[in-house]
Amino acid sequence: MNIGQPKRIIEIEPASIPLPDTGPPLAEPAPVPEPVPEGGREP
Amino acid sequence: MSHGRRLAERPDVGIRIEHSEEPLVAWRTWALSGSSHGDNLLLRPVNARGHAWVPGEVAEARCERHWTHTAPELGCLCGFHASPAFDVLRRMRSPAVLGRVALWGRVIEHDRGYRARFAYPQRVRLICQFCFWQHGPLANAPTAVGWYPRRRLIPMCDEHLAVSRTLAQAPRRVLDAPTLDQRLRSTYAVDLLAV
Repeated sequence: MNIGQPKRIIEIEPASIPLPDTGPPLAEPAPVPEPVPEGGREP
Repeated sequence: MSHGRRLAERPDVGIRIEHSEEPLVAWRTWALSGSSHGDNLLLRPVNARGHAWVPGEVAEARCERHWTHTAPELGCLCGFHASPAFDVLRRMRSPAVLGRVALWGRVIEHDRGYRARFAYPQRVRLICQFCFWQHGPLANAPTAVGWYPRRRLIPMCDEHLAVSRTLAQAPRRVLDAPTLDQRLRSTYAVDLLAV
């Protein structure tokens, strides 16, 4: 590819690297607490 | 990435230097390789030299002619090439993928393109190289991807797949283009290029 003559130099230091944010693996969902019967648990 | 041809005796004369925090985004084409089942997809430079772009990793340019300088060097043609206009890319040899690429680090702006040290694709789509050459990015999307020796993958529309068969250039295997298009975007975790 003929891109012609150079015109300017740009030194680019991005605040964040433009990589896709795949993120860490999702954490396992927190366990659902057992429903507590009215009046509290039996002894 | 390209090679070390001298542009001028004093290429730095009259060149201004600017600083920025925003990556440049420009047009680029790639070749594509993968297995005969369409796995292990890799974007590669269309000139068949240079290394594949590793998914999820920043691509860093290296000069293949002059090991003593860091790409892109002003008096050389090394660095990742991209263009602000896709029309320039229609003349590239055997492109399989058209996309937008982010460029950063040292970027040298030329009359019709850029050369950069760091890059990563942002949006991609498969193209039929023959339709792209004739009609630009408004050409129909490819329907098939031909698998050829040396793991080359060449997307084609129905018409040009038929032409390849009449010219005894039929691929060893034909894969589904929409499936590979989706797999390529998933591999690099990028979005579809809408043109």
